[in-house]
Amino acid sequence: MTLPKNVYQALEDIVGPVNISDDPAVLDSYRYSLAHTAIHLGPHYNTFTPRGAAVLMPGSTEEVQAIVKLCNKHKIKFKASSTFWSAQGYPSEDNTIQLDMRRMDRVLEIDEKNMYAVIEPGVIAATLQAETMKLGLNTHVAGSGCSCSVLASATSYFGSGPSNLYGGWFHDNLLGMEWVMPTGDLFRTGSIGADCGWFCGEGPGPSMKGAARGFLGAKGAMGVFTKCAVKLFAWPGPQTLPVEGTIPAYKIALPENFKAYTVAFPSWKAWADAVYTIWDTGIGYLGHRQFNMFGRDLKFAMVKILTDPTKTLEDLEELLEDPEVQKVTEESKRDFQIVLVGMTRRDMDWQEKAFDEILTRTGGWKVEAMNVPEIHDWALLYLVRLGHKNLNLVFGGSYDGCFGLLGSADYGTSNVEEAGQFKKKWEGRGAIVEAGGDCTMGPIGGQGGGGTCLWENFTCFDPSDKFSTEGTLEFFNAATEYGIKRGWGVGMEKWNSQNRGPDGRTTPKETRDQIHRSAPQPNVFRYQHKVKEALNPNDLGDAYFETLDD
Amino acid sequence: MALEDFAAEMDRCSSCSYCKWIPFDQMKSWRFAKNCPSIAYHNFNSYSARGRYLVARSLLKGQSEPTETVRQIVYTCLTCGSCDVSCKVCRYNLEPLEMVRELKFNLVEEGLCLDEHIAVIDSLKKEGNTMGAARNKRGDWADGIDIKRLPSEKAEVLFHGGCRMSYDEELQKNAHAAVQILLDAGVDLGIMGDHEMCCGGRIYNMGYREEFESFAQANITAWDKAGVKTIVTSCSDGYHAIKRLYPKLGAQVEVLHTIEYIDRLIKAGQLKFQKEIPLTVTYHDPCHLGRQGEPYIPWNGVEKKIKSQIVVYEPKKPRYNGAWGIYDPPRDVLKSIPGVELVEMERIREYSWCCGAGGGVREAYPEFSEWTARERITEAKSTGAEALITACPWCERTFLDAVDEKNDRMKVLDIIELVQQAL
Repeated sequence: MTLPKNVYQALEDIVGPVNISDDPAVLDSYRYSLAHTAIHLGPHYNTFTPRGAAVLMPGSTEEVQAIVKLCNKHKIKFKASSTFWSAQGYPSEDNTIQLDMRRMDRVLEIDEKNMYAVIEPGVIAATLQAETMKLGLNTHVAGSGCSCSVLASATSYFGSGPSNLYGGWFHDNLLGMEWVMPTGDLFRTGSIGADCGWFCGEGPGPSMKGAARGFLGAKGAMGVFTKCAVKLFAWPGPQTLPVEGTIPAYKIALPENFKAYTVAFPSWKAWADAVYTIWDTGIGYLGHRQFNMFGRDLKFAMVKILTDPTKTLEDLEELLEDPEVQKVTEESKRDFQIVLVGMTRRDMDWQEKAFDEILTRTGGWKVEAMNVPEIHDWALLYLVRLGHKNLNLVFGGSYDGCFGLLGSADYGTSNVEEAGQFKKKWEGRGAIVEAGGDCTMGPIGGQGGGGTCLWENFTCFDPSDKFSTEGTLEFFNAATEYGIKRGWGVGMEKWNSQNRGPDGRTTPKETRDQIHRSAPQPNVFRYQHKVKEALNPNDLGDAYFETLDD
Repeated sequence: MALEDFAAEMDRCSSCSYCKWIPFDQMKSWRFAKNCPSIAYHNFNSYSARGRYLVARSLLKGQSEPTETVRQIVYTCLTCGSCDVSCKVCRYNLEPLEMVRELKFNLVEEGLCLDEHIAVIDSLKKEGNTMGAARNKRGDWADGIDIKRLPSEKAEVLFHGGCRMSYDEELQKNAHAAVQILLDAGVDLGIMGDHEMCCGGRIYNMGYREEFESFAQANITAWDKAGVKTIVTSCSDGYHAIKRLYPKLGAQVEVLHTIEYIDRLIKAGQLKFQKEIPLTVTYHDPCHLGRQGEPYIPWNGVEKKIKSQIVVYEPKKPRYNGAWGIYDPPRDVLKSIPGVELVEMERIREYSWCCGAGGGVREAYPEFSEWTARERITEAKSTGAEALITACPWCERTFLDAVDEKNDRMKVLDIIELVQQAL
């Protein structure tokens, strides 16, 4: 669609001519290939999200308000995105204006004493972390990695990641926020709404955090968040990371109060017991089953490649034949990574002692090959900064999780082995990477519920290969069926299917309604419908704000 | 290669946006976290490597036309390669820099050129240089130096002045200094004077592949005839062209940047500094000496898959990700000069910020080029350095112009100037 000339001109008047475009090629650079991730149930080949009507890059809250008011006047849908990691940030309906929030990228304030930062949408976790570390503070980094917008994770999604364990999820960390509502009105929720500063998301002042975010975040479908404050936590390390090594094998040697361990367990029950006990004991700074994303069979060989700048993926097969690699691979089947950080030497001693005791009680062990300095220091940097998340896509350019989802450690461990075996059979058919079936990864604990875990079994494929993409689709459908049959429920592979269909556009309402009615708490979506009716009367968002209107 | 050959990469680029930032592990501040001047200045996704993959795909699929906007998207790529480095922190089967170059080649082959670039090409065809200057003035910078003139004389080592240093009157002193230092150290050195021709590196990065190959072949032939085995140059663009591009066309000549040669001489005890230079300096890694200055490794292979869907190459493909560029020799030289204190900027080595001169941007988009240079000068100033040192005349000229424009007090020097002063 081409915007009417007068509308385009009015939008151009708001942001200036250099910050708006409707050139078809520019618009196509704001489309997401459904082949990149299977969660949108696309046919996985040559299908993109719809082309926007225009792309705008607002530079201030006032400009955002003016754009949104104009969209209301002309009934034009809009979708804001900051760092575009996921398809959720792109339009799912035709004739939508794409707002790219990149220009609003300032760290407005770091309140050292009260331990929070006030940021704009374009601030990524890496830059926020770099700035906060100078003050002895740290930010949570979402599992999608430090390239992603902190504000987007906090206001519009849930922001789980390795530091859930110590720092809390981003939605836990959300304090005051500035919200350009779907009508264009400006709302400041939490303490900032009462002009009391940014320190609290719920008050003193209007407590609209729940309405603004909805269930798991509105994902850009309910107005635009233009500023927010997030909690920070202690960083007892250097002001800048002392990175050494040859690209890509960067590493850091941090003081003795930092340790990154890979540990493994004799059974999944022991694994879960250790996770619970870590949570109960209150130790740990970062906890993630991280490197298993490469697959149970491939992970140590991949670590060897990534820590040696002379190696490439072409060395993988030879490494897999190495008896030492095979030994470590076998030893670390049921593993996770944990970073212990002591605020003092005494604290570190206590954590180390407690951790050793947990391993003794559960029969777990430290995977010593992962603790040699060149690998330890690489893994420590990897986990602290989370700057290598594009390794999710290292094999062929695409991946997505399957099975899994949110739950207790027992939930994941009860099915990880069987789901892995099921996947392994599919791996044998050749459409997805043969990685050992169990490619399950995710954080090992999170605040607000006794150590919840978020699991997903990574499935890697080649988006440029029709056989691979079609085979992946078949596998994901089979995984869903299997999950339902086994009582595990629908997994990560259908995470967003209720919102975006195989053509990249919104799933038909009947289908969405059916999914929402069968959800464990359908009234959540009925409540969200009421919220939407009240706050988004012209329905200018998309189905990522999930509603049920029966 | 043709644009179609990158179709699979266009699918496989995962749009992660790593190409917009320095490697995340290396980030030290919000201010100096970006790597690609093109996206940092223009902001639309389209101006990043990720965006250019999608633009190329759109063009290839016939979903869009090469509009004026598209030309700007393509030609504002500085071909500095910073996207390539950041991409390859995690990816082993994408070549974003090569893809963007191919996009430029494609536009040029379709006649969708820029007038400013055509002027450069016209100068090149007529006078053998990119500077719009007379061919018979090329060797004037060496007047007064007692040096062998090839091909009429023979020398073990050829000094290649390059277009910028040969004709830029303010920078000719650096060619002069380099040659004199090497001669004084006993190197059997010669120059080609008016017979020297442009290396073609800069037009290659503008998109003129055919013209580049023509100049490269002419140079290779001339050097062969003159019996040249080793070339020394102070121009990083030329260094890259001869080191990385010429071997594909059959060149077997060894190339060294002047600073590599001087570093060797210092380490061998053949060059000793006599004077102290009390100066705090910071060093700018030229893109073509640093991340793009890696050794050329011949490869002729094919893609294959292992473990069903892991994309690899047979035989093992050389990986150009900036790991093995020329970073330490200039730093070692600076550190060895008495009185010089080297302080580092935040973006250095393989993740250095570009000066703004490359890819034809200086010629076609001077405002953007100057902004890019200003960004670097701001970063240099933040270190407390009194002087910004570089090892490329294109970088130096762009910085000098940007400094002049703002009446800046930051000194801009070629590293050879410090070496000469300290001897």
